Amino acid sequence: MIRWLVMLLAVLIPISLLTGDATLALPDNLIFWQLRVPRTMLGLLIGGGLGLSGAVLQGALRNPLADPGLLGITGSAGLGAVIAFYWGFAAEFPPTLLAGGLMGAGIGAAFLLAFAGRAPSGPSLILAGVAVSAIASALLALALALAPNPFALTEITYWLMGGLADRPLSQVEMAGPVILLGGVILLKLGRGLDALSLGEDAARSLGIPVAATLRMAAIGTTCAAGAGAAVAGSIGFIGLVVPHLLRPWVGERPGALLPAAALAGGALLLAADILVRLAPLMLPLSTAPPVGVLTALLGAPFLVAIARRSVP
Amino acid sequence: MSDAGQGTIWRCLLCGLLVLVPVLHGQAADRVVSLNLCTDQMLVLLAPEKIIALSPLAKDPSLSFVAHEAERFPSVRASAEAVLRLRPDLILAAPYGAQATLAVLQQEHIPIVRISLPQNLAGIRRMTRDIARTLDVTARGDMQLERMDAELAEVPHRDRVVRALVWEPRGFTAGPGTLMHALLRAAGLSNMSDGRRIGLEALLRRPPDLLVVPTTPAYPSLATTILQHPALAGIPQREIPPAMTICAGPFSAQAVALLAQ
Repeated sequence: MIRWLVMLLAVLIPISLLTGDATLALPDNLIFWQLRVPRTMLGLLIGGGLGLSGAVLQGALRNPLADPGLLGITGSAGLGAVIAFYWGFAAEFPPTLLAGGLMGAGIGAAFLLAFAGRAPSGPSLILAGVAVSAIASALLALALALAPNPFALTEITYWLMGGLADRPLSQVEMAGPVILLGGVILLKLGRGLDALSLGEDAARSLGIPVAATLRMAAIGTTCAAGAGAAVAGSIGFIGLVVPHLLRPWVGERPGALLPAAALAGGALLLAADILVRLAPLMLPLSTAPPVGVLTALLGAPFLVAIARRSVP
Repeated sequence: MSDAGQGTIWRCLLCGLLVLVPVLHGQAADRVVSLNLCTDQMLVLLAPEKIIALSPLAKDPSLSFVAHEAERFPSVRASAEAVLRLRPDLILAAPYGAQATLAVLQQEHIPIVRISLPQNLAGIRRMTRDIARTLDVTARGDMQLERMDAELAEVPHRDRVVRALVWEPRGFTAGPGTLMHALLRAAGLSNMSDGRRIGLEALLRRPPDLLVVPTTPAYPSLATTILQHPALAGIPQREIPPAMTICAGPFSAQAVALLAQ
């Protein structure tokens, strides 16, 4: 399966580098290095981070609906990034944007962790995530209303849809290492997640420190999904969809799912971003829509299907 | 006759009728409230002594060309209650926005003049004269226009074609028919835009000789971060303060001078 995914990426990456804003051609050096390379790298990194986070969360929480977006982690990362940006911290020192996103994601994840300690699985966890999302979006509206920029509310509407367009290379350099770090943390959880799938007691009897595993899952997700959200806004549903797409191929064992989920997440976001860039060629649009619009359009029906299957 | 020409005639007739309203009510108004940023600026320029209140935006230096002068006047939001309390005998407003409020005020028989915002220099002259006549300060209107024409006359002539592109956040451009198009032409620049949105990549594929962008505001703005993208480093940029171009007025000549530099 891994080999197939690597081959898929080997096809998608050149296509992404060749696909411009409503054009299909090899661009000049400037456009290639300053626009298409960062965009492709961000798609791979952020998509991979989201796919991996989704697989880990679904394994660790034993909940098929777990996803950094639905659990409110992306939403709280967005809140942190928005506060860092609109209150001028990011203008003074750009990495504050990333720090704000990570801090927001971390607070959201910590809340969920505290909640998961008591009611580890089932719909109540998702409801806790909905609560985190709701608090994050309420605080976001408040932060924007207090922001010195009168257009902040309008601007952020677009940003929150999530997009990869026109991000400079400096943002890849900023967020990339953090996403990779989160990825490494998450990939190492494979054995722990396998044991957890047998139940917490069984995992403990196998010598797996359950609390520590959950904590590492929260930290890894904070890095992988939070850093992505700080740069690209909230791109939803990748983390939800990817593990479900992969399970028929790699089986139910969470540990085996992780590397495949990272690759497939990158491939899915990259493919969605290519489609979005080509959309103006096919539809009467003057510019490409944000990629988060497409992932949400594709992902939401998927969520309904999973929810119907898991509720008897 | 073209549709556009006919439209202009109708608009003139309409303007004429609207201008007549306060005149029919007796002498010219001297307690004037403006509810729109653009009429605020005209009122400050033409008849500051008649101002009862301006819209709150008039004092925002990032939006209003007369922010400094507007500082000393009271602000009023477009709320019927707040406006009625001021007992204006004339209200200046735009053809859009706050229509519900204006409908209430109209019921209270307060004359309302809706000023349509001009998109070219001829329109600016017409609007300035109309408002000056409404406020009974015709001479001041003519003086403003004379100053505008003098400033326009000093704009240097250009020998070679300079293709300019007005590029605003999210890739919006100013195509033919907009005020910015008229200002570019007056500055001797040719406008590359056909009015459609242009993304960063499309812009780099056919780079303009001059990129006209709004001045980065003092507050952090997500939309203007794109102007710092390193890929734009090779294209000359000219910053125009939005306060100069949001509304048209005799001060538009200064925007033309800035563009022509």
